[in-house]
Amino acid sequence: MPSKPKTANTWYLLIFLVLFSLVPVLKTTNYQMLLAAHVLVWGLFAVSFNMLFGVTGMLSFGQALYYGMGAYGAGLCVKYLGQAWFFPGMALGIVLAAVTAWLLGHLIIRVSGVFFTMLTLAFGQLGWQVMFKWYSFTGGDDGVQNIIPPGLFSNKVIYYYLVLALVGASIWFLGRLSASPMGLILRCVRQNPERVRFLGRRVRRNQQRIYIISSLFTALAGGLMSGVDYSIHTDMFYWTTSGHVILMSILGGIGQFFGPLVGAAVIVTIEDVVGAFTEYWSLIIGTVMLVMVLGLPRGLMGEISQLWTRLPGRQQALTTREEGN
Amino acid sequence: MASIRRIASLCLLLLLTGMLTSALAQEKVIKIGALYPMTGRSGIYGMDSVAAAEMAAEEINAKGGAAGYKIQFINTDSKAKPDYSVTVAKRYISDDKVNFLFGVVSSAVGLALTEVSKQEKKIFIGTDHAATELTVQNLQPYYFRVSNNTFQSMAAGALYLKELAQTKPWKTIAYIGPDYAYGHAQIEELKFNLDRFGVKYQMVGEFWPKLFESDYTSYITSIMQAKPDILVSGFWGGDTVAFIKQAAPYGLFEKSLYFHPDAGGNYELLSAMGDSLPLGLVLSARHHNNWPDTAMNKDYVSKFHKKTGRYPTYAAEGAYVGVYAIAEAVKKVGNPDDTEALVKALEGLKFQQPEDPEGFTSYIDPASHQIVQVQAIGVTVPNTAFPPATRMLGQWKIYKAEDLLPPKEWAAKNKP
Repeated sequence: MPSKPKTANTWYLLIFLVLFSLVPVLKTTNYQMLLAAHVLVWGLFAVSFNMLFGVTGMLSFGQALYYGMGAYGAGLCVKYLGQAWFFPGMALGIVLAAVTAWLLGHLIIRVSGVFFTMLTLAFGQLGWQVMFKWYSFTGGDDGVQNIIPPGLFSNKVIYYYLVLALVGASIWFLGRLSASPMGLILRCVRQNPERVRFLGRRVRRNQQRIYIISSLFTALAGGLMSGVDYSIHTDMFYWTTSGHVILMSILGGIGQFFGPLVGAAVIVTIEDVVGAFTEYWSLIIGTVMLVMVLGLPRGLMGEISQLWTRLPGRQQALTTREEGN
Repeated sequence: MASIRRIASLCLLLLLTGMLTSALAQEKVIKIGALYPMTGRSGIYGMDSVAAAEMAAEEINAKGGAAGYKIQFINTDSKAKPDYSVTVAKRYISDDKVNFLFGVVSSAVGLALTEVSKQEKKIFIGTDHAATELTVQNLQPYYFRVSNNTFQSMAAGALYLKELAQTKPWKTIAYIGPDYAYGHAQIEELKFNLDRFGVKYQMVGEFWPKLFESDYTSYITSIMQAKPDILVSGFWGGDTVAFIKQAAPYGLFEKSLYFHPDAGGNYELLSAMGDSLPLGLVLSARHHNNWPDTAMNKDYVSKFHKKTGRYPTYAAEGAYVGVYAIAEAVKKVGNPDDTEALVKALEGLKFQQPEDPEGFTSYIDPASHQIVQVQAIGVTVPNTAFPPATRMLGQWKIYKAEDLLPPKEWAAKNKP
């Protein structure tokens, strides 16, 4: 990727961090901060998912598996070992997710396209079934409650800043990765895997790497979420969670690094604002998605940057950017 | 130009509505923030609950409210999703400034919300979810439940089976129920209660179809082979309908006694099945449209029918009673804001409800915050008084409320 979007992304990241760090100061009710925390966590989930989908072209329908592992790592440790185990539990969940991704990666990255998608879905549902049925250990459909971060972090504002810091750092890291030579190869893998081989690079190894990295950050998002809501549930493993994050990415724009984050913010807000007024919330989300896919296929961020480049005097930049992307 | 004018008038309209709502907010109100599912498989329970709760609020407001406060009832579709419900509950507390959290059909949502209620010190009135742990292991000071839990229905069920053994000896039991927390809890509690009441039985099979299963054939043939005297069932909603419809042609109900004490007698089932519902099934639910035969119950059912054009499912009565419980507590305390005083007022609160038979008044047990109610178990008989149902329950057996509460051993056994 040329250097320009990289600087633009740095600016976006700064604006994003400043905006979200102001939330606890400017909020009028605690609920707004909760909503902002949800946007942060879903945003991290969506951005790390998009490293797989938008960047590398691997449509995984099973990322909920890693999201759930992060959440249940923290949740089950708190349930069985006590509150102090919140952060070690979260770390355990992340490590477990990375190891699982490494193991599963060997099995499912052998195939590509729709077969890959189906296999991720199958393993994701397998994980859900295990959590759902292992009632004595996981609490099954009842979920786990009373997950409160220990000590200082039981304060909501402090925990919010922790979430912001971790999400900010993760997104910064993923942004660097996306703009790095490895990011370039990942894009090549999406566009022309044959050619990557001719260039002497390994397709599968790169896919494996990004699959592990994406899963790791997804698990971090899950772990953070358990401390935001204080309770977790097997729904986190269910395929609809994976579907949710795909919607967010497409709505925000899969071609843009920050697209999924914007998508997450929009979906979390719509779900909540519309849900408060009518039970026909799903109709609204459906309509918005229809309009987006048919009318604005680049997603929100994609269309915005398109508009920006179309401004008079930037026509030149447009053509070069298009090629670079 | 026209569009600018249109936008300006729209802004004005928004401003006016804003002013109107803030003017309304000046009035003395008790705000109840409910979370019932309005969509999906449990949507009918949510719609009935909301209708009944609104009915109760209208009745109370028509009489001048509780201690001068009008009841304001708001509901958000919970989607039956715990994480979403938690978010909405937090919005209720911080933005809408509700005085009470209310409702919930799914136990998973109930367990998640009781945590919010505990953290935020906001009273949560549970109306339909039945997981026993909410008033046992997971009990916290701000949670109250105004409908029976599964333990109470299973204790009544065990007593029914005990009596049955004297008139029509039986030995073997099989169980079929949905493979998730609710399904498993029911049979655990039934076994515990059978042991507690000294009933001898032999378990010949446990069958676990998944929730919302569509084809029960393999389970039905396995049950036929196991030949249980009693088939205990733990389904709810459409699953019960599907199972009974598929099992009837095999003659299962002639060979085994179908026994479904928690959600089997729901009007939802009676109305959905009409003539295809076999006679002689033993069912119960948390409220019955034709029992008890009191003026209050008749009045409640007919008012609900007038309001919605349909007869209520059992979930509705829980919501109706819940709103009255809030009104009674506020009357005692004098305002809806003193949470600690309201908790004291709700503990031991006693008031007449549609499902109370002559000579009994339900009350909230101060120790467990669980309502103590009579449970009636009936048998399907022809009755066309509540169309479209052509079968209702009859030949009632009534179980005393005090016998049904979970004993101390149960809490000790289930300590986390």
